[in-house]
Amino acid sequence: MIESKLVGTTLYIGLSGELDESSAVYIRSKMDALFSAGGMKKVVVEMSELTFMDSTGIGVLLGRYKKLKAMGIPVYIANPSGSIDKVLSLSGIYGIMPKVDFREA
Amino acid sequence: MENYMELKLPAESKNEAFARNVIAAFCVELNPTVDEIDDVKTVVSEAVTNCIVHAYGYKGGEIKLRASIEGKTLHIEVEDNGVGIKDIAKARQPFFTSKPDEERSGMGFTIMESFMDELEVVTNASGGVTVKMNKNFSNE
Repeated sequence: MIESKLVGTTLYIGLSGELDESSAVYIRSKMDALFSAGGMKKVVVEMSELTFMDSTGIGVLLGRYKKLKAMGIPVYIANPSGSIDKVLSLSGIYGIMPKVDFREA
Repeated sequence: MENYMELKLPAESKNEAFARNVIAAFCVELNPTVDEIDDVKTVVSEAVTNCIVHAYGYKGGEIKLRASIEGKTLHIEVEDNGVGIKDIAKARQPFFTSKPDEERSGMGFTIMESFMDELEVVTNASGGVTVKMNKNFSNE
């Protein structure tokens, strides 16, 4: 569902499975706990293992963006699958959380 | 009408995945592309989430999911018996949400409209709402 790794000052958050209303509360609290732990100057949300996301997921991402923005920390989205990319594009979220290509070494 | 189905399910968030997988299975006979299946799963998830969150305010209720196939067109209806929508035109606007404190994106209807070919939002006699959507499939 959610994994994380702090590499230098970049916090990588890997989402997997499905992000909808039933998983939103869990993902939200896990991400917020990671942000509270601190140590990062940048956040990358990696989505290659995320198989489904609807507009509830957009709400979760926007909420996390606002928290990080208040902390002065930029957040990026990496490797969304086709349908998730469509949902993200339609919502205009890449305007505030740019899409980056990231592959783990 | 060449095929049809109807499903009644409680308005609980665990049923979102169930409902979207049911619709994916139902439209298999249309030889859908991966993108078409994803589109249909996403819109059903949006409509069912609306029932759970807005129509029934997380308190539960009953959702009816109906689908039928005519030629290359898939018809979907998602019906609730909840509080209804006061201003449907406003609710359909991108980024409009009646729950701004809950980190809701307000993109549900926009996604449904964009991923389907037709979308109609109807107030039922009971006061609830039925979302009616059509999608034309490309494959032979």
